[in-house]
Amino acid sequence: MKKVTKGFAPLVALALVAAACGGDDSADAPAAEPAAADEPADEPAAADEPADEPADEPAAEPADEPADEPADVLYDYGVTEDTIRIGLNADLSGAFAALVTQIVDGQEAFWDIVNENGGVAGRQIELVVLDNAYDVPTHLANYEEFAQESEEGILMFSQSTGSPHTAATAEMLVDDDLLAIPLSWYSGWADPGPAGANVMELYTSYCIEAMNGVEYMAKALGATTIGIISFPGEYGQDGATGAKMAAEALGLEVVFDGEGQIIPGSDQTPLITGLVEANPDIIWTTSNPATTAEIMGGVYAQGLTAQWSGNSPSWNYQLLATDLGPVADAVYWHSTYTQLWETDDTPGMTAMVEGMRRLKPEAPLSDVYIISWTEGMATLAVLEQAAANGDMTRAGIVKAFGEVSVDFQGLAPDQTWGGEPNDYIVRDSFIYDVVLDNFDAGATVSDVGAGTGFELLAGPYVGDVAKAYSFDGACFSAG
Amino acid sequence: MSSGTTRKISAGLGVVITLLAAIGLYLVYELFTDPYTLLQAVVKSLAMGSIYALIALGFVLIFKATEVINFAQGALAMCGALFVSYSFTDEHIPFTTIHNPIVDIGGPVWIRWVLCALLGMAFAALLGLLLERIAIRPMIGQPLFSVAVITLGLEIVLRAVAYDAVKTAPRVLGVPWGVKDFKIGTAVINYSYVVVILVALAAFYAVFVFYRSKMGIAMRAVARDQEAAMAQGISIGKVFAIAWGAGAVLAALGGLFASSPPIGQTGAVEVTTALVAFRALPAVILGGLDSVQGALVGGLIIGSSEILAGQYLAGQVAWLGSGYPLIIPYVVMIIALLVRPYGLFGTPEIRRV
Amino acid sequence: MFRRPNLYTSYEAETQVLPTFTKKIIAAFAVVLLFTMPFDVPILSGPTELPILRSIPLIGDGLPFFRFLGDGNWIRFMSDAMIVVIAALGLNILTGMAGQVSLGHAFFMGTGAYGAAFLGGASSEKLLGLGLPIWIWLPGAGVTAALVGIIVSPVAVKLRGLYLAIVTLGLVFLGIHMGNTNWGRAIAGDPSLGRKFPEMDIRVWKEEQPLISVTDDGKWLWFEASDNQKEYLLIAVVMLVFLFFAVNIKRTRTGRALQAIRDRDIAAEVMGVPEFKYKLIAFATSSFFAGVAGALFASHVGKMPAAQFNLFLSVEFIAILLIGGAGTVAGTVMGSFFVILLPELVEDFTKWLGDGTEGGGVIAGAAEVLLTDGGGSDFGPVSIGTQAQGYALNVFDWNLIIFGVLIVGFLIFEPLGLYGIWIKVRNYWKRWPFSY
Repeated sequence: MKKVTKGFAPLVALALVAAACGGDDSADAPAAEPAAADEPADEPAAADEPADEPADEPAAEPADEPADEPADVLYDYGVTEDTIRIGLNADLSGAFAALVTQIVDGQEAFWDIVNENGGVAGRQIELVVLDNAYDVPTHLANYEEFAQESEEGILMFSQSTGSPHTAATAEMLVDDDLLAIPLSWYSGWADPGPAGANVMELYTSYCIEAMNGVEYMAKALGATTIGIISFPGEYGQDGATGAKMAAEALGLEVVFDGEGQIIPGSDQTPLITGLVEANPDIIWTTSNPATTAEIMGGVYAQGLTAQWSGNSPSWNYQLLATDLGPVADAVYWHSTYTQLWETDDTPGMTAMVEGMRRLKPEAPLSDVYIISWTEGMATLAVLEQAAANGDMTRAGIVKAFGEVSVDFQGLAPDQTWGGEPNDYIVRDSFIYDVVLDNFDAGATVSDVGAGTGFELLAGPYVGDVAKAYSFDGACFSAG
Repeated sequence: MSSGTTRKISAGLGVVITLLAAIGLYLVYELFTDPYTLLQAVVKSLAMGSIYALIALGFVLIFKATEVINFAQGALAMCGALFVSYSFTDEHIPFTTIHNPIVDIGGPVWIRWVLCALLGMAFAALLGLLLERIAIRPMIGQPLFSVAVITLGLEIVLRAVAYDAVKTAPRVLGVPWGVKDFKIGTAVINYSYVVVILVALAAFYAVFVFYRSKMGIAMRAVARDQEAAMAQGISIGKVFAIAWGAGAVLAALGGLFASSPPIGQTGAVEVTTALVAFRALPAVILGGLDSVQGALVGGLIIGSSEILAGQYLAGQVAWLGSGYPLIIPYVVMIIALLVRPYGLFGTPEIRRV
Repeated sequence: MFRRPNLYTSYEAETQVLPTFTKKIIAAFAVVLLFTMPFDVPILSGPTELPILRSIPLIGDGLPFFRFLGDGNWIRFMSDAMIVVIAALGLNILTGMAGQVSLGHAFFMGTGAYGAAFLGGASSEKLLGLGLPIWIWLPGAGVTAALVGIIVSPVAVKLRGLYLAIVTLGLVFLGIHMGNTNWGRAIAGDPSLGRKFPEMDIRVWKEEQPLISVTDDGKWLWFEASDNQKEYLLIAVVMLVFLFFAVNIKRTRTGRALQAIRDRDIAAEVMGVPEFKYKLIAFATSSFFAGVAGALFASHVGKMPAAQFNLFLSVEFIAILLIGGAGTVAGTVMGSFFVILLPELVEDFTKWLGDGTEGGGVIAGAAEVLLTDGGGSDFGPVSIGTQAQGYALNVFDWNLIIFGVLIVGFLIFEPLGLYGIWIKVRNYWKRWPFSY
């Protein structure tokens, strides 16, 4: 038996060591908190309590303390006595990495400032960032890690990149009582049903943005024909649907329908050829900067001088540094949701510019920091509302979401999320001309007066089609 | 070979010939109805074919000398392009604060750019040498498949590092011909088409001449039989080094052209630059892994099939699938391999029991 | 020594699946461990209470590498790893045993996954699906993939070596591309989002309430089990079946024929091993494994697009084979676990380094040099910040780099892979103290 024991011993030793170093695991966290117990009544399928949850005490009184007194609010996961964990499920290496890495950077600066000013409910905010590479399975795997019911989990998402990605988690958010701010402007987020209930959308949607953009282009240029191309999925086809709605309402003929035909990474020649043959007056795209560049450049080279515009994520101003710059200057108008960097003196803009300059002086100049800031402000508003309610459990955050009303201090239209979607959805968008002369390559946030190559054409703009639009669910649903 | 097999081969060949005839007839029809589009498509095909031929040549040179299919060509292409970009646009040498002297050179931009291009090629060659020394030399004598997988591993590593530089913004290459074009009738011909065709011709001519030189003959000897070559006193190490260096330089050239039409539209190094080598793989296989003329012919065939399919089958995109031009090369390759399993010009492997 | 493990007194004894006593013990132990691992067995879970162990600086709070018991996240990794084992075993049969170089494993997995989607998935206005229960769609996935493998196998007869490898590579691209066509989208769903794959609930036929539910938490027999744990058990059972099959095939006539073809296929044909038939069997079997694994993978993830079955997935399997040790089942299993758990280890390690900078001492110093948070001032090759500007590489990049370096390193330094290392270690101990 000696031989057996010899082989056995290291294995046993290994098992013992492994057991000894069991490491942080789920069961411990809420042991000492006042009432990690099930929330009174409402949520169906309340967060799964694993069997080893300590005996639930009846809910302790929610303290009505002012926000800076720690440990007097209810909390369950993602909150400790000193920290609040906020999650970002972000695309740091995929199709939109260029834009998203900047947005995440901006949020880091925002929360640094919040922490400097004492945090929320006496706790410091800790950001947890995971890369989803714009890939749905990775996003879901990250979600599992974020949503874990322990200290390691998060309280809410201040960013969930990707329309299809967030859509894939929409029902899970409801099941787990988590709130997420999407880095996505899919029209379905306004849906009060499970597909959008726990999603806190900011500004307008792709659908409405497309309606505005197409209407503005058509009216400004007297167009009669339009070509529409887009990614497949909740992002691309939402925008395409909005464009088609506007085309129908305005009497434009859709001479090329490329909805869902742009596959990132594949050869776009068939689309280029098709567009050139169809010869539309204007073109609307819902895609990413790389594919926009490829198709727009290809089409322009073949002599089609149609005016282009597209949903905001379709353009990255850094393309102006490449050979595509003159083409974009000639034919691209950029649509987006907010003002741009340093375009006005509102308190929100001033605070953001100062903050970025102080904390991230080397960051490249970009307009997406406004998105960072507004994501942060919205999250902060929800946190503070929940703290004021005395309930910073995940369910408490969701409840606060229904009550909160956010003042973006001029960076974007103020928003609330209560009541009828048709009343509270934002219908404003901004349209800019891409101007090569206004672009300063390699500028950082510290370069006062530097530009990202835009000139305002119209904004905040609400077209007739968007004004008349009545919300009854998402413009596009994947089914 | 039994008569059954002969008949099978002829049947396959017959199918291919019929297909080609049909395509030829269609093109003649197009010639009469829309000659300028055809002209544009033909020139574009030649250009695309040249890019693929250049990259394929890189694969073939490395394979001929070292019997390794180098999956890392894509990453090398991207790195080469990045080297050119850094020397052309950055004020400092990367990772340091040393001022980049090239930026100060006066005169027309294109002279500076050509200098940067040459410098980039040199760095790419060095990188190729480094890879060969680290990863390939220790594997002499190991099965080919293992070495191929090593190059896959290298590709993963290099690409991860290279991606970091372009993930957040494309890097400007500053190619002098950019995306500008000229017109013949209604046919749009980009300057890049002309340049790449000329460069490919030059490269193939250079290789042709080189293979007649002393070193070239030595390389051919090594390709035929390594041991016999060693017995004759040929330095295998030198041959490997030259092969990998040259392969890397050709990859880098491919990377440069991948930023301009017909592949790219921005004149910048982007995340997709590294994928151009995978698009050229069918050309290598079609021509035969160890044949230089195969690289040229294979590249041209693959390039034309891709461009012509993209141009004339665009209406069928619904059932062909978005992005089908990228698949056409693989389909062509598979069809051709069924008829000639070692590629059009490849040497069949002699198997001994 | 009382036992002579290499002494066999009968043919049956030598060709047993588990021929030696040690192997039997280890197998039993492994099976027990496999089935108890997901549960919080009282003595084995949680950080240790023993004060002695607690006080050891790093181990006390849990080394990053030893956290696999009872933790929800890690159960999912183990499930993933087991699915990968199934697929890798398939590739082992094809490439390791039969010698047919195939870079197309992701394609066969995808075929299986979409076969399962068609058979078991729910139908809607844009998607096709028959909604059949798991005992149809899981084997059905394997059968679909096997049929496709049979169709592909004549190619392997005509082509060899790298030519075959590139053609199978082409299959992967073709497969993904088919998801972009109109007709492909009816089965594969949207190219960006994909479709929902059938869940692993066990039903008799299409009824609402499953016989055994795998997707809900709740009571099961006499104990509580979460959905992750139940999925884990189901996958474990499937894996054991396939594992047995894979180990078994080596000692059968078919297995010997495949190995003969790998070594010298012309000689094999001369000896009466028909090349065509056995290559067909190799492809069919390997694809069956891949198809089932693909279906399980898709179901486990839930919803994903066709582009998930890409070249990188194929390369991962080749890497698993080579890192683990081609041609051996034990090596394949070791390689699978290693490659799947690697990204987690890298992430934990970097986080641990990051936490380590807070304390003092040598580790903190080393960590300081290596890490940077992406700001302008400090320099270090590993970044824990998210901004990937500049030259620092973040954790996500390092995963890839380490993966690539491992592939290269193992092939250069240890061609027999982890299995080879294991053999060396085992031989050392066997002969100790005479191990020279």
